[in-house]
Amino acid sequence: MTGNRKSRLDRRTLLKGTSAAAIGIIGAPLIARGQAKPIKIGMPTILSGRVAQLGASSRNGVMLEVEKVNAAGGLAGRPIEMVIRDSKGAPQEAARVARELVNSDGCEILIDAEASSGAFAVHEVARDLKVLCLHTNSETSSLTADPKLRIPNAFRVARQGIHDSIVGGGYAAKIAEAKKLTKWMTCSPDYAYGRDTTAQFIEYLKHFKKDIEVVGEAWPKLFQPDYTEVVTKILQTKPQAMYSCLWGGDLTSFIDQGNIYALFTQIETFAVNMADYTALTVVKNLPKGIHSGNRYIKTFPKTAANAAWGDAYRAKYKEYPTNWAWQNATVIQFLAAAAKKVNSADGAKLAEALRGLTIESPFGTDGKLTLRAEDQTLVGYAIGWGTTIPAEPYVPETTAGDWKQITELEAEWKKKNNYT
Amino acid sequence: MRRSAVRDLLIGAVVLAALVLLPVLWPSKALIDFVIRGAALALFATSLNLLVGYGGLVSFGHGMFFGVGAYSFGLLMQRTGMPIPVAFVVTIVVTAAVALLVGAICVRLKEIYFAFLTLAFQMFLHSLIILWVPLTGGDQGLLGGIPRPPFFGIDLGDQRQLYIAACVLLVAGLLLMRHIVESPFGFTLRMIRDNAARTGFLGVEIFRIKLVAFVLAGVFAGIGGVIMSLFVSGAYPEFAYWTMSGEGIFMIMLGGITTFLGPTIGTVILLLLNDFVTRFTEHHGLMLGAIILLFALGLRRGITDFLVDHWRRTRTPAATRRGH
Repeated sequence: MTGNRKSRLDRRTLLKGTSAAAIGIIGAPLIARGQAKPIKIGMPTILSGRVAQLGASSRNGVMLEVEKVNAAGGLAGRPIEMVIRDSKGAPQEAARVARELVNSDGCEILIDAEASSGAFAVHEVARDLKVLCLHTNSETSSLTADPKLRIPNAFRVARQGIHDSIVGGGYAAKIAEAKKLTKWMTCSPDYAYGRDTTAQFIEYLKHFKKDIEVVGEAWPKLFQPDYTEVVTKILQTKPQAMYSCLWGGDLTSFIDQGNIYALFTQIETFAVNMADYTALTVVKNLPKGIHSGNRYIKTFPKTAANAAWGDAYRAKYKEYPTNWAWQNATVIQFLAAAAKKVNSADGAKLAEALRGLTIESPFGTDGKLTLRAEDQTLVGYAIGWGTTIPAEPYVPETTAGDWKQITELEAEWKKKNNYT
Repeated sequence: MRRSAVRDLLIGAVVLAALVLLPVLWPSKALIDFVIRGAALALFATSLNLLVGYGGLVSFGHGMFFGVGAYSFGLLMQRTGMPIPVAFVVTIVVTAAVALLVGAICVRLKEIYFAFLTLAFQMFLHSLIILWVPLTGGDQGLLGGIPRPPFFGIDLGDQRQLYIAACVLLVAGLLLMRHIVESPFGFTLRMIRDNAARTGFLGVEIFRIKLVAFVLAGVFAGIGGVIMSLFVSGAYPEFAYWTMSGEGIFMIMLGGITTFLGPTIGTVILLLLNDFVTRFTEHHGLMLGAIILLFALGLRRGITDFLVDHWRRTRTPAATRRGH
């Protein structure tokens, strides 16, 4: 009896199986047509360690836009599937993860959300594997400016050191002229970024105002906890103005400790990385009147679109967007626009479309962003300087930089560095 | 030639053949990447074990030679355009010279003092790399890729050929190190580890033996660095950072100190753990830490030592019965 029942069951299973298979065979092309193969985009970024917060905000920025693009049908009909992995901020790990994403996970595009050295490591992977690669966080100018490093399949969708220096130098020169600030001092972290950025800022400050004198330099170590000696050195040197490119926790520690000595009421301070929510909201008593470049701030550009984007991000992730967040959001907007233009999600075709592409964006100075064709880098983004107030909106007014001037001086700078 | 040396050579040849055939049987780019990285780090870990396991010299600064190897090779290829084999030999000479200098100062010290002085030299080198921007590119590392001009018909720009080169270097490196630890020099080194004073009374120049071991270990770590620099097509300050040395110690702890292949197995375990754990969780630090803790508490001396001990224990009664 049992055997009988078993055989009946088996027949039913067989019937079910056959019909399912039949539906599968007949239906598969229909399903495939209705739901194209997803396009996998790999993204190595830093999700652990000191800058994990920035890596997480990069992921948030990307996901916010991916949802919108997928709701609208994806890249040329193919839904985007993000594969985001932690590189721990180590370049060899970034290279490994990037290779793995392409070779094992089948990612067709890389969004390189790495900082400095990691970005260069991923760049080499892109050169090797010839996969479309979009750098979203490295601000080191040489990554795109140096023709020796350039490859047709890599783009930078991020701000750039040289642009910041030109705008910063021009802005600071105007303030220096108005307030008669000639004795300057610098206080920046002691590594390549700190040294390069500071030298460039001073270069352009002197370019716009000839009688600047640098009376002292302080080079605190990266991630230094105690700034007492730096603060006393500054107080002893008695400059009229000070430039600093300290960032993140280092900047907030420096501001907190400098406040004890009322440093910022005595000296006109230009801290390029101050106007970033990760710094603005962490400082205990944010002094009034610190000059800063914009990183991401809801009030600049002062448009409804930008404010709405900032609010939407905050509503979704319960925190303020960062500079990395808008850059990573932008990359998805660019990919969507490029895919629409060529009606394809193929890497080579997308690269062709991206070269010289202009899109509408809340982050552009005049509502537009462009991936400049000649060096495949982002231009036209909102870049400017303003002064802080202790509470929201932290930087109420920002003076925008002039992109015509930036482009001219950047061309000169490239010529000087044999980048042409 | 000793019989054991012939046996080692044979094993080496078989392993090399198996490694070369592996991608033919299992064509996976991920596997190729894994083995190249594994070769670089296994050479590094085994060379560290020359000091830790065989010499009793616990170096916390071994990553420095990995970094020196990667940077000298990368710089030579980028700046001089010399052929790869020449750059490879020059890199070995440079690494040996650095190891000789550092070793001459460090190996006079014992235990914790030795460990900390090697760490200090490592941090010094790391700072030098960070600060000497015109040469090293500072914290951004060597930029622009490492050129790999073909030589003798070998093109290391092709990942498959790099794979074979890495396998050859790995097997040759391991065989050489095996030869070193099985030679009278290797036994003298172990004697010093166990009782330096007594060895000294036998007329052995302890300083010289330790220094030679330090230089040899540095050279093999440098070769690991060369493979890694070819894999990532660059060199980064992280290669010479203390975390690199820390990883070496982890690999040895996972794999085992007293077995020659322990560090190699530890490397494979750590890489597998790292690659899989980072795939599935962001809390990989916690996971890895817990696993290493389990190894340290449960196995005490790494997996191969544990297995070898176990094997010996189960064999001993039988051996005794045969009248040993």
